Amino acid sequence: MSAPLLEVRNLSRFFGGVKANLDVSFAVPAGIVLGLIGPNGAGKTTLFNCITGFFPPSRGEIHFDGRRIDGLSPDRICKLGMVRTWQKVRPLAKLTVLDNAMVGALARTGSVKRAREIGHEQLRVVGLSSRAGMLAGGLPIGERKKLELARVLATAPRLILLDEVMGGLNAHESEDLIALLLEIKTRGLTQIVIEHDMKAIVRISDRIVVLSSGEKLAEGTPFEVVQDHRVIAAYLGDSTGAKA
Amino acid sequence: MSVRGQVVLWAASLAALVALPLWISSPYALHIFILLFIAVATGESWNVIGGFAGQYSVGHAAYYGLGAYGTFILLQERHLAPWFGVWVAVAIAGLIALLIGSITFRLRGPYFVLGSIAVAEIVRLLALNWKSLTNGAEGILASEIPALSIGGRVITDWNGKLPYYYLGLAMAVFSVAANLAVKHSKLGYYLQAIREDQDAARSLGIPLTFYKNAGLVISAALTALAGSFAALYVGFIDPQAVFGIDVSIEVVLVCIIGGAGTVLGPMLGALVLVLLSEALRANLVAQGLFQLGLSETSATGAFLKENLAHAHVLIYGLLVIVVILFMPDGVVGFALARRQRRRSSGSG
Repeated sequence: MSAPLLEVRNLSRFFGGVKANLDVSFAVPAGIVLGLIGPNGAGKTTLFNCITGFFPPSRGEIHFDGRRIDGLSPDRICKLGMVRTWQKVRPLAKLTVLDNAMVGALARTGSVKRAREIGHEQLRVVGLSSRAGMLAGGLPIGERKKLELARVLATAPRLILLDEVMGGLNAHESEDLIALLLEIKTRGLTQIVIEHDMKAIVRISDRIVVLSSGEKLAEGTPFEVVQDHRVIAAYLGDSTGAKA
Repeated sequence: MSVRGQVVLWAASLAALVALPLWISSPYALHIFILLFIAVATGESWNVIGGFAGQYSVGHAAYYGLGAYGTFILLQERHLAPWFGVWVAVAIAGLIALLIGSITFRLRGPYFVLGSIAVAEIVRLLALNWKSLTNGAEGILASEIPALSIGGRVITDWNGKLPYYYLGLAMAVFSVAANLAVKHSKLGYYLQAIREDQDAARSLGIPLTFYKNAGLVISAALTALAGSFAALYVGFIDPQAVFGIDVSIEVVLVCIIGGAGTVLGPMLGALVLVLLSEALRANLVAQGLFQLGLSETSATGAFLKENLAHAHVLIYGLLVIVVILFMPDGVVGFALARRQRRRSSGSG
């Protein structure tokens, strides 16, 4: 196997005495979808923040495309080709939907005209073309999630990190988004996906990493992970019968 | 309105302003227009960093004063004509802005506002105490301005209003054009993204400090240009007049009242503030109330007549409260939001 696109080595992140991530290691080969699951407070979002440069790791190394990136700023990491979305969506509210996508595209081009073309293209991909002229702040939640995705895609990334991109969506909207993620995958774009909906994560992931209390509990194919009794105990056990 | 319609409208307005002195020769009327041009220029200058990037600097007096002092000192000490000196002053203001920006942009939100005030106060105190350079609190009186020849015409009379009218108009148009250029460039998109959400902006590949500094340098240079023009028009400067915090606040008010982050907003805000402050100064407001039936001899009437002319700061304050409560995005934002609402309710 060739070198993985992303490799996290022994990453720890502490907040005072709290160990948000402890000694987490995993690798993401190019082209796959990696699911990242774990109970609330397991450290999934902290891990995203470390990987994308928002928090420097307290210990450990992160390598992206053969290059060490821990300590780089989020904008540098975006330029290298790795971008994240936000669990709580962050639309540029007073800009139009198209402008939002254009801001993403401007990471790749200095030309506003070219950025506008890319913006339209990505809005088409996520199905927001009819909303292009609306203010982003006026979109309903489902479409805001799609806009986050369009904006991230417009940066022409090689790896995207999606933080609960299906959270708050109804069944129909989730189905739409799953189809979209699968389509993006066929184009060879590598993804790391945090999701609470187990059915969705099992469908779209090639591999799954399970976090619990900041540590990696298990890793494997979806089939292996859902049968792992430690995972069932830590993640599913405390919510038996719930929607998970 | 179509884009073409807008261009025609603006071109017509500009032509009317160019032709205006042919009909209006009243020095007072020209004076009001010159004040308006200065307010438009400063408002549009602040708009680049405060409006587009949402970085509410309340320290723009620093750049305004640097423009004024730079031009005056060069004229006085080096006998450099203002139309050369002003560009030197503008360049200095730009460099100082870079220095100030790299310090204050470490701060966010209200802390940035406080930082910008503090830095401007430091600059004011420097101007006050560096007497060998600035003549301290006594200020500087502009010496004779040399003749300027533009396109075959030679301007020698710098005491009339007319040269300032046209130079002021040119400056205001330049500031508006600079705003339009910024707004439709990559820089403009990035500044607006920073205003809306700094973390989202960073995650999308925007180096915050670099773009904030770029915006501030443009804003400071334009402000310095307006400051040096205003100072030459008045003919006298002292630290309080050009470095004082009221200069900073007035610049911000122009944008907030008109609509920060739009190109039209500072123009409307300048119109409102200049007309209002002149109306108050000339006691037109009290006289209007008397016309409406308020007795001039009643206690209220006498009080208003006596005090309203000095109350412009109070009235500004009330105006800002009204604007923030009812039109948080200024006059322009208010109008746009109404249109958007009507459109979306129309389309169902």
